[in-house]
Amino acid sequence: MRTTFNSSYMISAADLARTSEDLAKRQAQVSSGRRISKPSDDPSASSGSVHEHAEMAALDRYAQTADTATARLSIVDSVLSDMLDQLTSAKTTILNARGSNVTATQRGALADQLSGLRDAILADYGTSFNGNYLFSGEAAKTAPYTKNANGTVSAYAGTATTMAVDVDRNTAVTVSLSGDAVARGTDTVDIFAALDQAITDVRAGNAAGMADAGAAVERAFGRATSAQTGIGTAMNAVEIHQGRVADLRRASEGRAAGLEQVNMAEAITKMSQADTAYRAALGAIGNTGRKSLMDYL
Amino acid sequence: MSGLFGSLSMAARALDAQRYGLDVAGQNIANVNTPGYSRRQVTLSALPPDEFLSPGNGVEITGLRATRDMRLERRLQQERPAEQRELAISQSLAIVETIVGKPGESIDAALSTFFDSAGRLAADPTSATVRQEVATQGAGLASEFHDMASRLAQARRDTDASVRDGVTQVNALAQRIAKLNASFGAASGVEGATETLKDEIGVALKSLSSLVNISTITRADGGVDVTFGSGHPLVLDDNVYSLDLTSGPPNGFARLQSAGTDVTSEVTGGSIGGFLQTRDVLMPGYADKLDTLAYTVVTQVNAVHQTGYDMHGATGAAFFTPLGSAAGAASAISISAGIAADPSTIAAGTTATPGDNGVARQFANLRDARVMTGGTATFSDSWGTFVYQVGADSRAASDEHSSRAEIVSQMELMREQVSGVSLDEEAANMMKFQRAYEANARFFQAIDNTLEALMSLAG
Repeated sequence: MRTTFNSSYMISAADLARTSEDLAKRQAQVSSGRRISKPSDDPSASSGSVHEHAEMAALDRYAQTADTATARLSIVDSVLSDMLDQLTSAKTTILNARGSNVTATQRGALADQLSGLRDAILADYGTSFNGNYLFSGEAAKTAPYTKNANGTVSAYAGTATTMAVDVDRNTAVTVSLSGDAVARGTDTVDIFAALDQAITDVRAGNAAGMADAGAAVERAFGRATSAQTGIGTAMNAVEIHQGRVADLRRASEGRAAGLEQVNMAEAITKMSQADTAYRAALGAIGNTGRKSLMDYL
Repeated sequence: MSGLFGSLSMAARALDAQRYGLDVAGQNIANVNTPGYSRRQVTLSALPPDEFLSPGNGVEITGLRATRDMRLERRLQQERPAEQRELAISQSLAIVETIVGKPGESIDAALSTFFDSAGRLAADPTSATVRQEVATQGAGLASEFHDMASRLAQARRDTDASVRDGVTQVNALAQRIAKLNASFGAASGVEGATETLKDEIGVALKSLSSLVNISTITRADGGVDVTFGSGHPLVLDDNVYSLDLTSGPPNGFARLQSAGTDVTSEVTGGSIGGFLQTRDVLMPGYADKLDTLAYTVVTQVNAVHQTGYDMHGATGAAFFTPLGSAAGAASAISISAGIAADPSTIAAGTTATPGDNGVARQFANLRDARVMTGGTATFSDSWGTFVYQVGADSRAASDEHSSRAEIVSQMELMREQVSGVSLDEEAANMMKFQRAYEANARFFQAIDNTLEALMSLAG
């Protein structure tokens, strides 16, 4: 084979270009930590990476929704606990008023006490989170109950339907309650009307009426307990899904890293190899044409 | 011719021949780096004797030839257009790849952010701040589609400009070849001159075959006739049949014409062929996919949104301005003026009760809905497929170019090995002719001394 000055140069220049490109690519991988800088580096991995980023974004959203849901449910739980305390006090107050040796003055004081408990329960139902009422069902901007000028609590103003949020794919939890379902349930009157009647009966010393009122409060207690159990169940469900979403997020992040990021040890080794090859090519091109017959003439 | 004077003449011819050999070596060394130069070789012949007992009449220069392998030259003309075509596609798609962006930082991120805001609306459907965010992110998504569509369109226009530049170069090279063809007549009989013309034509053909797929026929005088595509003439003898450029509908992109015939589809090789493939096939395909994605986002979001009720209890209007078709959707997508002006008109509920988040949840869950490609893919799946397509096309062009560049490189190496100048070889030739010159000079001196001795006898 005939070897000319230019043929040697062409081979060396091609080797130099190839090794230089390889070195630049390896250096970019090591400095950026990324295996893929453009889709053509690995089309399948790029497509997979798009999917993983979308998955992570969706999971992040579910995680944020779950955090908010937990905060809301914690408040509802706390309010229901307070409500149960008030109802327990109401039950005790009514029982105390039923005694045969209770004087009218004492019944009047107990009636006033019941009035205060009714107002405390009304305040519980009026609890809001970020400006949204928690016991109005979906009518987040409407107070479930209000007290008019003559002290009577209005009928329920919220909706029977409740608000749910998605904390995972195909998993929603209820984050608001229908005040009516807790305050009235299947009774003909709600807890406020029942307490108003109890106040009247306590003042009048109506034993039968007080017995009925005690039963109504007891039923309200049961509904609030049931609602709190439901909230507890929902909070547990949210917690379970938060854990699952976090696991899925980590898995997705791991897959994305596997697709996008370099194995640093491998990348540094390959960069070192590329550097050696580049230096060898430089040496080769430096020697090209250095020796020829011309040097001996 | 015989006798001492004949010997002197023979020595003079030999000195001329060896000096010519030295000149040729010098010419080769001078052109060691000249593109397209084919090394020259001098051919010498012994002059036969013209009478009995004569040893001969020395040497004569019978020719100067350039060393070429025409088979290799033709193969290079066939391979180079394919190599340059893939290079042009690869370079154009590298730009498209930068437009597409990195995973998680492009349209996919805008889609995620938009549906995130819908998710926040589902969690807090009465919040004015969240409603404003949904409107803002909707406008942001539209803007992202606009930017990408605009950049793709600009890339396509840039590719068209490359086609136009390429055609200008083709015509200039055709003129150059025609001019060189015309010069063969004047150079006839001057061997060095015709070889130089052939070298120059070789350089011009190399450039031309980088631009378009050509065929050549070598003429008897050494010139070439050049055709392209399915045999359309470009250069016949010293006549040029220029490629004309016209602007075709609907975008005003360049159409190639030869003698009034549209030959755009026949230019399939060279960088022009690559740019045409990118401009007319690949880039429109990407733009169509982007339009389809934007159109589906518009129709799906509107379909959900219009089933709901806004904060005022009114039926939801279209969230995005409705589009008639997918064509141009990525450039046309925009949120409705009513939504932009008053985000409280965003429909979040399935009932008229403010606080109902049923529609907002459906809206947010569109993120995972399989509404693309016949109900088999989500929006992000579709974007992933788009990214894959661009990456795979670019990778294929790059791999194809590497493979073809290796073939061309090997052929150019083989050509260099046949036609290139070897400094070692030329140094050896230099020594060979120099020593021969010195020997012939001594022979001349010997004859001269003999003549001088003879002259002194005649006294």
